[in-house]
Amino acid sequence: MAGRAKLVAVIGDEDTCTGFLLSGVGELKKTRESNFLVVEKDTSIAEIEETFRGFLGRDDVGIILINQFVAEMIRHAIDAHVQSIPAVLEIPSKEHPYDASKDSILRRAEGMFSAEDFR
Amino acid sequence: MKEDVSLRLDQCLLRFMDQLELLEEKREKLNSLIEQGWFCISKARYAMGNKQVSALQYSNEIVPQVCVHVRRVSNGEMEFGTERMDRGPSEDTTNTPRQVEEVGPVDEGVRRRKTTTAKDSKAQSNASVKPVAEEEASVNKGSPGHQDPLKWFGILVPQSLKQAQSAFSQVIELSAEVAALQTAVLVTRKELQTLMEEKHKAAQGKEKGKGS
Repeated sequence: MAGRAKLVAVIGDEDTCTGFLLSGVGELKKTRESNFLVVEKDTSIAEIEETFRGFLGRDDVGIILINQFVAEMIRHAIDAHVQSIPAVLEIPSKEHPYDASKDSILRRAEGMFSAEDFR
Repeated sequence: MKEDVSLRLDQCLLRFMDQLELLEEKREKLNSLIEQGWFCISKARYAMGNKQVSALQYSNEIVPQVCVHVRRVSNGEMEFGTERMDRGPSEDTTNTPRQVEEVGPVDEGVRRRKTTTAKDSKAQSNASVKPVAEEEASVNKGSPGHQDPLKWFGILVPQSLKQAQSAFSQVIELSAEVAALQTAVLVTRKELQTLMEEKHKAAQGKEKGKGS
């Protein structure tokens, strides 16, 4: 498949990040620039949002995987992202199962239907 | 004209429903694989110890081994495909056997350093080989990130950690499919909206025509 090689970024709890790093998607340069963020109890919402916006601004990130409970903290930033790339995928976490009703993409798809449209 | 729009609208709606159904199916599989991966990590942590499977074990420098290729299709949808870059540059694999051969003479030269002067000529010829071997070693050391991430957690890791790696590798491949489906759903949604507006305009035009 043609197209420039892009990275998969991850924003999630320790187990999520460990799992994805095991699969080989992680990048950590000598300058400490990375494509993942381990969200802990003391990680601030500002840091999460800054990291998310940083990934959106990079042209070498193709997919962003984010735990849904983390996505809820920065929902306004995720809803504001309407471009196709990078694609944002919300994934479950150990303590918070996936809820389709909270997913930004599915909410956008569901919101288009109204009673008038079917006349 | 209105019938044509209605037909296209129906086809688009059916396509939209199919895409949503497929997306839900892929999502369920993705979530199930992620849960399987966590379970394997927990089993590995139980076997190895709490601190042995944590962010503390991540390498100081990591080079990505998996990348995603993105391509825009003509109708506006995006195609995502994953590629695994398991092996390092070809020079490493071709040089490694030579390095093994040359380490022998270098070692002999080191071992012979304390021997009599009669053997110094042999040591000198080996010394010329040393810089090449050292250079190759530095080339190999220069790419630490191509190491299998499993090795961060120890030389001998439990099978459960390998299973976790396998599960999350499958998750990455599925993520590419889910990402493509998400963009397809949004493109189809936009097309549906456009067709609905067209239909409403056609209906309003017809009503005005009847009124006059």
